[in-house]
Amino acid sequence: MNRISARQLFFFLACIAPVGKLVLMPAQLVHDVGNDLLFPAAINCLLQSGAVFCVLTLVRSQKSFYTLVAERAGRAAAKIILALLMLFLFYAAIMPILEQSLLVQNIFYDTLPSVLTFAPFFLFSLFLCAKPLSCRGRLWDLLGPLAIVAFVGVLAFSVGQADFGALLPAGISGVGSIFKGAARSLGWFCDSAILLVLLGKLEYRKGIALRGMLFYLLGGAAVLLFLAVFYGVFSDIALRQIFAFTKISKYFSGITVLGRIDFLFIYLLAFVMAFYCSLPLHACVECANLLFGDGKVKTPLYSAAVNAVMFSLTVLLNLSFLRTGEVILYKLFWIFLLFCLLLPVLSVFLRRTPHEKF
Amino acid sequence: MNSATQTAVTGNLDTDADALRRKLPAQDIFSFPFRSERGIRFLVFFADPLTDKELLGEQVVRPLLRYEGTPAAAQVGENLTAPERRAESALDKLAEEVLAGNPVLLWEGMDKALVVGTKKVFVRAIAEPTTDVAVKGPREGFIEDIKINTSLIRRRLKTPALRIEMLNVGRRSHTFVALCWLDGITPQKTVDEIRSKLRRIDIDILPDSSYLTHFLISRPHSLLKQVGTTEKPDIFCAKIAEGRVGILADGSPIALTLPYLLVEDFQSSEDYFVPSNRASFTRILRLLALFCAIYLPAFYIAAQLFKLQLFPVKLLLTIAGSIQDIPLSPSLEMLLVLFVLEVINEASIRMPKYVGMALSVVGALVLGETAVSAGFVSTPAIIIIAFSGIGLYAVPNLIETTSTLRLIMLLIAGSIGTYGIILFTAYLLVCLVTTENYGAPLLAPLSPLIKHDLRDALVKYDFDALSRRPVALRSRNKRRHA
Repeated sequence: MNRISARQLFFFLACIAPVGKLVLMPAQLVHDVGNDLLFPAAINCLLQSGAVFCVLTLVRSQKSFYTLVAERAGRAAAKIILALLMLFLFYAAIMPILEQSLLVQNIFYDTLPSVLTFAPFFLFSLFLCAKPLSCRGRLWDLLGPLAIVAFVGVLAFSVGQADFGALLPAGISGVGSIFKGAARSLGWFCDSAILLVLLGKLEYRKGIALRGMLFYLLGGAAVLLFLAVFYGVFSDIALRQIFAFTKISKYFSGITVLGRIDFLFIYLLAFVMAFYCSLPLHACVECANLLFGDGKVKTPLYSAAVNAVMFSLTVLLNLSFLRTGEVILYKLFWIFLLFCLLLPVLSVFLRRTPHEKF
Repeated sequence: MNSATQTAVTGNLDTDADALRRKLPAQDIFSFPFRSERGIRFLVFFADPLTDKELLGEQVVRPLLRYEGTPAAAQVGENLTAPERRAESALDKLAEEVLAGNPVLLWEGMDKALVVGTKKVFVRAIAEPTTDVAVKGPREGFIEDIKINTSLIRRRLKTPALRIEMLNVGRRSHTFVALCWLDGITPQKTVDEIRSKLRRIDIDILPDSSYLTHFLISRPHSLLKQVGTTEKPDIFCAKIAEGRVGILADGSPIALTLPYLLVEDFQSSEDYFVPSNRASFTRILRLLALFCAIYLPAFYIAAQLFKLQLFPVKLLLTIAGSIQDIPLSPSLEMLLVLFVLEVINEASIRMPKYVGMALSVVGALVLGETAVSAGFVSTPAIIIIAFSGIGLYAVPNLIETTSTLRLIMLLIAGSIGTYGIILFTAYLLVCLVTTENYGAPLLAPLSPLIKHDLRDALVKYDFDALSRRPVALRSRNKRRHA
């Protein structure tokens, strides 16, 4: 359990990372670029896969990000960068968790319950974050196939109702809007920053960087397919369809006879999502372990602290979700640019032998 | 030397007898003195209810009455007709042997005693175990006698590589515990680790092998099962042939196997005697039955309380019709029915067989039928709990864990709804994934994914595909057959 194998990493990149992009992002993209929603998502997927490639080139050294930075720039600089990364991961966790909280309140109950209904998530997250980060590998072994089943299930129920002609004519929103949409949806593409924390725990396999990138692109392709079906089903009213993956299959003709059987797959996706949402927090706890030392008491304490603060934020920001989203995704999108693209790309220079094969 | 402080046999019969009597003051421990033809004085100590006196007379006393040799231990031993005998001088050991049913022979002029194996063995007949029933395949089951149990194993594994090491557990019970493994197959590290854990056990008595599990697992307080159990020697042998260590305890018909993988309990011995497609089907059926048993009552409650959309319209109307006059809330109603089921279940196991039939009638007909017609509980609740009750027994070895999980799920579903079920399942998954004993992950080969071992997990491949031992167990010899 001390190491995450290449297979487990690929499961994460191809099957689990896309799951977080199926909740609010589709409606957000429609809001920004209308029927061109595939373009900004594709741009982000391509850029992020490049960042993933850069981070994974460091796996061969079998050293943690902290050690790599410390070897190049000294321990003080390493601590500062890791502390910043820790703060970023916490920041990056806000949107997915708020998303999840709204999802739970709106989808799991017929009535609109209190935000406290979401509180048990933090108990689970507290428990999980107190475990070693490398246990995620084994979880991904199980969650990967489950995510595939759920994704295929949801798509199978909805693809019949999709009119892909709605995506045409492509590109009418203009290049500027497309890039603006890409910038505003950057917050959903933080996977490379998480990979930085996983360095040192990933098992090296020849070609891991290239394959990792390809698997990420595969996951990205699944997201694009989902977006295409989503817009194909809802067309102009897609803007109003927040929590996309829970809505996309509701027009399936068998529902009148079988009930909302699609909920089985939706719940399965929500199950996978619970793990995905707590991952930035887990990475945050791992950073704290590296910065302040770990132990049987310390790690659960970090986990408790991180989750308690996030819980408080969720309660506070619950009613001002839209305003929070505007600030995080629109105004402060450059933070994501810095930590999810620039930092991973720059991390390539941490390699000792620049000409080694990936 | 004072007989009170004496620790070993001295050769002075009176002193030795006194010392041994002091160690064994119980009234059912007898000593029987006699002389040989040349006048050598002998004394036999034995525990009355445990020793076969007829055998003792035949194999020990009768030959020695005619004995004309010297008091040398070797010579005396050669004159006995008992095949099982051993020289021993420590008084504590001798006392232990007497208490175990083996008589101890002392005689004048010799500083060693002979322990003779004429123990009387009270055993029940070897029968088919009630917990491990198979339509096809061997029907023998372990019994309470460890020697017979080891012989059942030896009969199936006629190889010198089979190692059976006897250990003694229990400060007062001195229960024999047999550690069984196949040399060259089972990882030595696993054997050493289990042996050292067994040796460190410090308890008063060992009534059953299940007492050992607490000392052998990494998370003793976990709800999850972490030790394999079986009552059948064929399963036991198959498991140790895969690279596991088996443990038998005297007085217990239940054998333990380690390391344990969760998929083991979804497999049945019969799966190996029927075509692989049938075996795969029944394994998946067991898994589905277990999932339904745990989740169905919980989802029913969650759907009723928080998300009615989950029901198809017609089913919703039927349910609405049947619950409209029920005075209890859905979760309370379900808990009540579950409580009644658990009580009936518990009572039917404990009560005499003769009243069992009456209980079934009272439980199933009177309680069920009357409760519905009186409007206490609804028909769907009874149907769901009944199905859940049956479903749990599709995997009987996990019943302790699964019945508790069902109750927890029910409570969570009644309070938080579906999202609670999802989160608790996620919590369970983390527990399952992070549990590991003797280097074997509990959830292997599903997590970590071991491609090779998937051939005999939830789906069973043909015999030819199973030529290698499970990778998760890290056995030293990888190939099982050509």
